[in-house]
Amino acid sequence: MTDSRPPRPGTSTRGRWFLICLLLAPAVIVPLLVPLYDSEDPTLFGFPFYFWFQLALIPAAVILTGVAFALAKGADRMDRESHGTRRGEGPR
Amino acid sequence: MSDVSTVAFSVFIFFFLLVTILGFAAARWRRAEKLDHLDEWGLGGRSFGTFIAWFLIGGDLYTAYTFIAVPALLYAGSAVGFFAVPYTIVVYPLIFLFMPRLWSVSHRHGYVTPADFVQGRYDSRPLALAVALTGILATMPYIALQLVGMQVVLEVMGLGADSDNWFVKDLPLFIAFIVLAVFTFVSGLRAPALIAFIKDTLVYLMIIVAVLYLPAKVGGWGHIFSTAQAHMTSISPVTHKPTGVFIPTTGNSQLAFSTLALGSALALMVYPHAVTAVLSTKRRDIIKRNMALLPLYSIMLGFIALLGYVALADKVTAANVKKANNPQLAVPYLFQHLFPSWFTGIAFSAIVIGALVPAAIMAIAAANLFTRNIFKEFFKPDASPRLETRVSQWVSMLVKVGALLFAIGLPKTFSINLQLLGGIWILQTFPAIVSGLFTRWFHRWALLAGWLAGMLYGTIAAYNVSTPTTSHWGGSVNTLWGHTYYIGLTAVILNLAVSAVLTLVLRATRVPAGTDETLQPQYTADPVDAPTPAPAAAVLGSEVSRGD
Repeated sequence: MTDSRPPRPGTSTRGRWFLICLLLAPAVIVPLLVPLYDSEDPTLFGFPFYFWFQLALIPAAVILTGVAFALAKGADRMDRESHGTRRGEGPR
Repeated sequence: MSDVSTVAFSVFIFFFLLVTILGFAAARWRRAEKLDHLDEWGLGGRSFGTFIAWFLIGGDLYTAYTFIAVPALLYAGSAVGFFAVPYTIVVYPLIFLFMPRLWSVSHRHGYVTPADFVQGRYDSRPLALAVALTGILATMPYIALQLVGMQVVLEVMGLGADSDNWFVKDLPLFIAFIVLAVFTFVSGLRAPALIAFIKDTLVYLMIIVAVLYLPAKVGGWGHIFSTAQAHMTSISPVTHKPTGVFIPTTGNSQLAFSTLALGSALALMVYPHAVTAVLSTKRRDIIKRNMALLPLYSIMLGFIALLGYVALADKVTAANVKKANNPQLAVPYLFQHLFPSWFTGIAFSAIVIGALVPAAIMAIAAANLFTRNIFKEFFKPDASPRLETRVSQWVSMLVKVGALLFAIGLPKTFSINLQLLGGIWILQTFPAIVSGLFTRWFHRWALLAGWLAGMLYGTIAAYNVSTPTTSHWGGSVNTLWGHTYYIGLTAVILNLAVSAVLTLVLRATRVPAGTDETLQPQYTADPVDAPTPAPAAAVLGSEVSRGD
């Protein structure tokens, strides 16, 4: 399927959205890969690896989602601007 | 256990009164000009910013029952006990990608519930009804479990516990329940939003103190983990197998762990109370920003889960739990034994208030589903916004009475089984809601058939799960072709497969697909945009493939 109103060159945000998905992917996939972290060693402050690794994934996910948010904000703005342009250009 | 600690009780009463006052005052908080509109009562006027939304969504998703049940799972040695941590990591990026689209299209069309969206997108009353009924059915036992969570704390505090009279025994629960029901009726979603501030402040205080203070009391984290490990590997005299699993190392326990985490994350997104919280925000980027901030709660949840092991390492608590034969009492007993009584009062207040917030939001969400998608749709299509609000208010009351009857009338295991089923059921609305946000490829009748297939398979499979101690409803994972999966996830895969195959058939036979009232740009709209002008034809554009 094609967009009936192709975005003007330079205003496409596809690349940005792809990057956002790429950033968020590890936050979804890594916590589900139990074999990565199903061991006791190395321990940290008495915590077996299995437990502290999962807790450590939380700040990692926060950072990834935070960067994704910043990117999405810009992408949303660019989308809106190109929508606006299209609206102005199109026949009323 | 029978004597109520006066100090703990006084602290508890103080916070309970504070919350009661706030619950009623909330009706005046951020009051809008147009009252008597379901957007006001049921969605807080769609007005919440980042700060309030953070407390509201956090207060909504991390429920009192979680604080009781997750450490109980670890305490009892469940292989999947810690799954709540990956589950609450995985859910936020998914919400980030999917839910802003639901927010935008709902904002444009005034949708209040997920079933409203399904109706607008697919032009199918049966499908919208299926989504609404599933939502109500899945939410009821969830509310009942909040009351069960409250009951557990009240019981450890010694309130009414040693009376044989059922009325005296449950009186504290009745009082808490009446307060909850009345302030929800009066203030709508603003009440839990305001109370969530108190709840989360208390919960964070409780967990920070618990993590800093308790481990040292029982010999440090190293000792706690080694005690837990020794306990789990010891052979149980009842089953002649290891008592529990410390770290899931076998392929099947890992598969159960990760499918449960993923399935629960997908289910959480489409739970009516989660959708209600998402739709109550003011702008779409507030949802995204919150997805980066909400995982803070997951750190807290991780430590709450580990309190199950702390309880195991404390001999007095372990003996108390063994005597009561209920692992759900592990955390309340632990607090009662090791905290000074004034802080026990704070911790118990945190848990009980932690039950009030989600219970209120869930009741509102279920009431909105009934009003919009059953009452208005099938009985009174010309209902005014004022009447809609009235109906929702009364239904929220009814929903809570139902939940109360669940909580006191039925055995606790029954409520837990129902909630477990609720998760499997609500997941069956995922294809209709979330796929609909990106594409209208699926046929409405195919989605309905897929839903039915998933519901039937999920319910039967859950019924057939047996454990050494029970013959039915033994858990939410089963073994399929030699591998162990979360039933909800296999059921939703079946659901999607049926939907896809039937879509091809229905398209080939040209069965009418209905009219889609939504337009592509409306899925990314923000209030800062001008109202979207209607394009000549709404086709699925390049936005379909995009992640937003």
